[in-house]
Amino acid sequence: MIRIPRGRGGWVSNMGQGVRTAALVLAIIAFVGTGCSSKKNTSGEGQLSSATGPGMNGQNMPPSGSLPQYQKGELGANGSGGPLTDIHFGYNDYAIQPQDNAILRANADWLTQNPATHVQVEGHCDDRGSEEYNIALGAKRAQAAKDYLTTLGISSDRISTISYGKELPLCTDETEDCWAQNRRDHFAVSQAQ
Amino acid sequence: MGLRTTITAKKKLTAVTKWLGAAMIVVLGAASVKPVARAQTPNESAAPDASGAPAASGPIRMPITGGQAEFPIAVSALKNLGGDDGGQTSNAFDTVLTRDLKLSSYFHLIDPASFIENAQSSGFDVGQINFNDWKSIGAEFLVKGAVTRNGGSVEVEALLFDVAGQRRLMGKKFNGSPHDVGEMARRFADAVMLAVTGTPGPFDSKIAFVSTGGGRFKEIYTAWMDGGSLFKVTDNPTINLFPSLDRGARHLLYLSYKSMTPELYLVDLGQQTETRIDPGLGQAVGGTLTPGGNIVAAYQRNGNTNLYLVDSTGGELNAITNNQAINVSPSVCADGTKLAFTSDRSGTPQIYVGTVNGGSAQRITYNGSYNTAPAFSPDCKKIAYESREGGIFQIYVIDAGGGDPRELTQSGSNESPAWSPDGRYIIYGSRSGGGSRIYLMRAEDGNVIGPLMEGEGNDSDPSWSGWMGE
Repeated sequence: MIRIPRGRGGWVSNMGQGVRTAALVLAIIAFVGTGCSSKKNTSGEGQLSSATGPGMNGQNMPPSGSLPQYQKGELGANGSGGPLTDIHFGYNDYAIQPQDNAILRANADWLTQNPATHVQVEGHCDDRGSEEYNIALGAKRAQAAKDYLTTLGISSDRISTISYGKELPLCTDETEDCWAQNRRDHFAVSQAQ
Repeated sequence: MGLRTTITAKKKLTAVTKWLGAAMIVVLGAASVKPVARAQTPNESAAPDASGAPAASGPIRMPITGGQAEFPIAVSALKNLGGDDGGQTSNAFDTVLTRDLKLSSYFHLIDPASFIENAQSSGFDVGQINFNDWKSIGAEFLVKGAVTRNGGSVEVEALLFDVAGQRRLMGKKFNGSPHDVGEMARRFADAVMLAVTGTPGPFDSKIAFVSTGGGRFKEIYTAWMDGGSLFKVTDNPTINLFPSLDRGARHLLYLSYKSMTPELYLVDLGQQTETRIDPGLGQAVGGTLTPGGNIVAAYQRNGNTNLYLVDSTGGELNAITNNQAINVSPSVCADGTKLAFTSDRSGTPQIYVGTVNGGSAQRITYNGSYNTAPAFSPDCKKIAYESREGGIFQIYVIDAGGGDPRELTQSGSNESPAWSPDGRYIIYGSRSGGGSRIYLMRAEDGNVIGPLMEGEGNDSDPSWSGWMGE
């Protein structure tokens, strides 16, 4: 978002409704320095350090977590990896689908056979819908899988949940296939603490 | 709760140079300026009338219809009364004033190349102005004024004239530092809007929004509403969402995954510190600042997302919703009590209105199966929101008590509306052709004015403060 002006000079025609539109003029950018920097200093200048909050150094991070993979640029069509298999959801829905029962049983079996592990269930959504609603929807999806694994005998202490809403898609095409791929729970496994 | 972080000066410089590369030299100089309390900078007063004649009293009310009528206005350079020999201060003032008057959609700016009267050799008040020269180039309104620059202090006097009536409508005198000139121009633009339309303009205000900038990560930015002084608030390679400015743009609330868990952070923009908001209610989903300095936050526990009123240190004050549904996207109206939010308690996401104290809430949207992102107008009478239609979203406005919604947008996919301080404009994230920009439109008729900023990356999820100092 370096504001390289496309419409230098001001008025360009807008594709919207024939109303004239003002593009950012270079002079506005250049003006920043001379015009209002003390205002910036009083109300917004300064960058917040990223080193705030706990857990910044990656401890507690499941090795197959989607966010670390996204940070490395490795989150893609092959999914987030790890020993467990993703499950998928209908549009704006968080009910476990019948075809995923076998996947959840297999995931539960693996967790039973590997008792020194922890799983973080990640709820994800497709990119249709508001960010905030989707974070809440992803939380519902993660909780649904957690509840299911618990009924299969996995201790709830070993299962945490997180929602990424629509922020970490596996693909970005505007197609039903892609949307279906993104509406998922991923199971990020780590060694128990 | 209450983890605080101080921002270092070094970080500050990095941020500014990184994002305003084209203006690096001047910006570097600007970044070293010490903060100045707003109350003193710039000073503003009504300019005394040199002619001795009384200024026109009351606004001229003129019908504005459908964005068709644009008043021709000429913005003359400020006369240099000393110290502004390069015209730098005058240019800075005129650039912002011109930009803002264009953004208002009420004015047509007359090309300065056609100006007859020389700003430096003529006077700048009634009796010293040749109004016929301005009338001959089609100006209905005229801005003239003067600047005096003396080292670190600047005095700007700016006046608005009715050309046909050959009378002064309004005058302002500003005192401050060279770095305040942009805000002087924004305040004057607000005053021009007051004089011509009867309501102050929205220009002395800030916006915050999410942008991917030149990279992959969503970060929070602030800027003046006209796009000036763009500033990158966050810099962490995770996910940062839902910026919410308070009325006077003193504080900013946002959600970040920077701890690898979603949490809310409250930034004091003046002190340049931030507090992690952790009331122990579960994982944060989103939130907004209330006019009283509290927070309405959405937290999820066991998959259920509910709204809570939380104070600025993260202490829980009361639960607002308590059910098994999704309750998100709070917007508090200026009375500090009425609350709009999204809930799927009916089976689909719909807009509800209740209060920050909890209790029952009334559903107000019945058209469409996916309505969310409500935003109260400044007078609390209307709510803008987004409604899903055929896989994309459009912005609607509905009375806060319910009724027939009115569609404001038609092209592209349009989300996350936010109102201007004066209630005449709405900004929103507009997606078309694979990119997303913050657009400005008129709230009354949905006439699109244009994108506020252009450049690399996708911009979304805008918040709009009230007037500065409000």
